[in-house]
Amino acid sequence: MCRSSAYTRSVSKQSMQEPTFLILTALAAGAQHGYGIMTDVARISDGRVRLRAGTLYAALDRLNADGLVTSDREEIVDGRLRRYYRITDEGIGELAAEVGRLRANAAVAASRLGLAGGTA
Amino acid sequence: MEKRYRRLLALYPKDHRREHAEEMVGVLLAAAGDDALVRAPKPVARALRFGQHTADSADLVAGALRIRGRMALNRIRRAGWYSRTVRDQRWSDALAVVSVIAPLLLLVAALAEFHIPQAAASSVTGHPHWQLTATLGLADLPLAAGAPVVATLAFLRCRRTAGMVALVVAIGQVISGVLRSAPAFTRYASPAVAFTVLLACTAAAGLLLSPGPDRGLALLTRDGTALVGAGALILGGFSVGGTMWYGPASPPSFGFTGFGGEVAGLPGDLLIAGVLVAVAAACLRAPVSRRVLALLAIPVIPYAVLWQEKLAGDLFGSPSGGASTIIPSSFPMLYVLPLILAGVIVAATRLARRRATGRARRVGATTTSAGPRGAVSA
Repeated sequence: MCRSSAYTRSVSKQSMQEPTFLILTALAAGAQHGYGIMTDVARISDGRVRLRAGTLYAALDRLNADGLVTSDREEIVDGRLRRYYRITDEGIGELAAEVGRLRANAAVAASRLGLAGGTA
Repeated sequence: MEKRYRRLLALYPKDHRREHAEEMVGVLLAAAGDDALVRAPKPVARALRFGQHTADSADLVAGALRIRGRMALNRIRRAGWYSRTVRDQRWSDALAVVSVIAPLLLLVAALAEFHIPQAAASSVTGHPHWQLTATLGLADLPLAAGAPVVATLAFLRCRRTAGMVALVVAIGQVISGVLRSAPAFTRYASPAVAFTVLLACTAAAGLLLSPGPDRGLALLTRDGTALVGAGALILGGFSVGGTMWYGPASPPSFGFTGFGGEVAGLPGDLLIAGVLVAVAAACLRAPVSRRVLALLAIPVIPYAVLWQEKLAGDLFGSPSGGASTIIPSSFPMLYVLPLILAGVIVAATRLARRRATGRARRVGATTTSAGPRGAVSA
């Protein structure tokens, strides 16, 4: 009850939240600015997930602090600042790991449902 | 619309605003001018815009709360206050000793509060008067359940969990005081309640701010352990009752509540005072035990009030009328005085730390200045 170790921390690591996954997926195609990420996320999720500015920038702030995304460049468009973000190598690694986890889970679920392409 | 968004952005931390505010305004305005909104008929577009603006505003507030919450959490993690122990060695050692004694005393206080020693004594002696408290209410739960848990966890060396549970016991006792007393807070004027609240707080401080019971037990000498054991037994025996040990089996009619319920008789009072004075005198000999004494004085203040009420009862008869107490218990005496003492102790630990830092700096300066001279002479 009282022991805390690297083991308990590593096994309790939670899978990525969907907005985080979608933001990293949007940035995997290349650097994008805030509004670009929002529209891309809506497109990727077929309109199911609509990020708003508060959520998006809270997520970008956290991802930036975790070293998964970084600021790429800035430009001024119509007198307004537009900052582009890009995914880092660490972010690519995290996204790839999450894709692997989702793929493995989906394969098991598909096989148990008797759907084509399922394994195990 | 931009002005309204900017007002909401004021909720964000300054650094975040400086970094992202302009961008966010740009994104919010770009989203407001969405093609779907522009193409929709006017009334529909207006309704959609209102909905979007409301949702964006709520999202901005939630985002600000999320970021501020995360920052606060990071600050707490960086400070590591929950895992930090007192730096001054002597105070740290004193707290370690307290982390052994205070949970033990808390357990004794709980046992006495619910007449468990009396019931045990009754089963041995066959005395009909002493009975286990018949039913425990919800308000009894913090002490009845918490004290054994704190003692067990401290014994199992789970010091942080034990410390947190001790804090919960203290808070629970405070809440139960509100639940029990008809005019709220009147129960806090009871020295018995003040004793358990402050004892639980002292136990929590000992457990959370020191290396814990392991170090405390290593520091306790055989004499010290004997004194603690005797002290705990006497404090527990406080409520076992003089009628059992010293007098006839007449039911007490003093009207005390809690473990102040039964007066142990004058010999009992003198025995308690004797043990407390002996423990205090023994503690004066070493610097660490002097600090232990200072820390334990916090809960002992309401205990002393309780004791003098009993003494008054024994000397002058029933104190239930309030006329025969030597010093009537009051809220400031039970809580403000211990709080002042706690404040003095905190100030003393800070002073000790500052002095130690100053000493270390002076030693460092001496070593640095001695170094080259040594090299020259060599």
